[in-house]
Amino acid sequence: MADIAGRLREVFVTTLELDEGTDVENLAYREIEAWDSVGHMTLVAAIEDEFDVQLDTDQVIDLSSFRVAVDLLRSLLSEDVPVHD
Amino acid sequence: MSSLIGDGARLVDAPTGQVLEGDELVAEVLRAGERLAALPPGVLFARIGADLDGVLTYLGAFEAGRAVALLDPGLDADLLTGFVRRFRPAAVLGAPGAPAPDGYTARDGHWLRTTSDGIEPHPDLAVLLATSGSTGDPRLVRLSRRAVLSNAGAIADALGIHRGDLAPTSLPLHYSFGLSVLNSHLVRGAGVLVEPSGLLERGFWDAVSRHGATSLAGVPYHYEMLHRLRFDPRRYPSLRTLTQAGGKLRTELVAEFHDTMNAVGGRMFVMYGQTEAAPRMATLPAERLPEKLGSAGTALPGGALSVRRDDGAETTHPKIVGEIVYRGPNVMMGYAETAAQLAHGDEMGGVLGTGDLGYLDEEGFLFVTGRLKRIGKVFGNRVNLDDLEHAARATAEGIEVVAAVPAGDKVVLFAEGAGAEKCKAVSRALADRLHLHSSGFDVRPIDTVPLLASGKIDYRVLERGL
Repeated sequence: MADIAGRLREVFVTTLELDEGTDVENLAYREIEAWDSVGHMTLVAAIEDEFDVQLDTDQVIDLSSFRVAVDLLRSLLSEDVPVHD
Repeated sequence: MSSLIGDGARLVDAPTGQVLEGDELVAEVLRAGERLAALPPGVLFARIGADLDGVLTYLGAFEAGRAVALLDPGLDADLLTGFVRRFRPAAVLGAPGAPAPDGYTARDGHWLRTTSDGIEPHPDLAVLLATSGSTGDPRLVRLSRRAVLSNAGAIADALGIHRGDLAPTSLPLHYSFGLSVLNSHLVRGAGVLVEPSGLLERGFWDAVSRHGATSLAGVPYHYEMLHRLRFDPRRYPSLRTLTQAGGKLRTELVAEFHDTMNAVGGRMFVMYGQTEAAPRMATLPAERLPEKLGSAGTALPGGALSVRRDDGAETTHPKIVGEIVYRGPNVMMGYAETAAQLAHGDEMGGVLGTGDLGYLDEEGFLFVTGRLKRIGKVFGNRVNLDDLEHAARATAEGIEVVAAVPAGDKVVLFAEGAGAEKCKAVSRALADRLHLHSSGFDVRPIDTVPLLASGKIDYRVLERGL
């Protein structure tokens, strides 16, 4: 499988317009101005495009940090792990 | 003097689970008011968030008859200092960490005025709110106690708010719509669920479920999010009322939310208002929504709507487009741009020219069609398009001709002769300046901006081309 964390990092950097030195791995919702509710919806749309998935209500709401996003995408893209809605 | 706290009113503090109701709530509000009495005389500035302290501070001031301006806690320190210099308030409650401006001293987290140059506010003045989001100098809207109380009661009537209801603080309290949710519930003896997090956070929905919230208030952008989240009211059995104001929501979504709520025995209300009217002017009864799709409803109880034609004549005749005029007890006393104006009495006489364009139908239902001034909305924030063009030209990108047109919840700016890189830079500069995400400023290159015979920009051509 391609490097999910790396692709996700790229999505975060592009959509939230993060500076080079930003500690993306430890980023959490509303911690920076760019990741507000508007940034969040933009981010969700970009993640869906990049990984060709559709996130449900709970997934969108629970996507509260970069780490959570990595875990979520890993579970979504793994065929072995059943995905609950 | 009647009170904002009706019989049975309660505050539920979601983070702690604490409930304040009845005599206990009244006593807490009284205590909050007494604490304010120790401050220098004059208008108070309060930077309040959606937390119990903030709500009690507001209620304490209101019930004690102390004029209070509710300000965005996220306001830039520079802007705040400018406000303080302009209006010389008695104190800034919940002041930022920055050093206190001249003539003020920092104490217990507040800025207290040390000089005696403050203006004694007009006795009718109760609440001051900043007009939102424009790139120009913000003004304060002066609301009387009577305006706030009458609007709270009329909203409660129009929405059928009753004692069992519980509304979460889904909108900031320094925003007139958010404040009106609080006021209209408390005045009718209903409850307010004080929850600092927002619609995109687990904590918000947990609080809605745990405490059995019955309604949810949102601006168009919130409904776009709820739509995107595939909001399903069946998951929240207590939540049966949705209210929407703060701009025009696209009619497909109005219809969709009406259907979704109707299917579970709930209601969707579309409403119309402005901070200048404390803020509600019209509501569309939920049961009339399907046949009046696109309407903002009829005037609130106690209010009246009419339309002012180009020749200045007012009419309630159907299907005539003009500036929407509202009359009612909730109309502001006027604006304040200087400290001296805080002492002014009513300058409006209960009549508000809204600056919005629209028409009434045969039954008096209002349809809003646009603005007299060119105003756009970026994620719910009012932005003066002329100011925005000016700001775009003032960036270091060397753009001379630019035309801004509203496009739903964002603004499209056509920049003459600019490349993709330059467009992106302008978008970022505007985002930085207005503290909004850059996706709200869609800057596009254009060879030549279309002009009218008069030499002015032909915005209609640009809007049609979107």
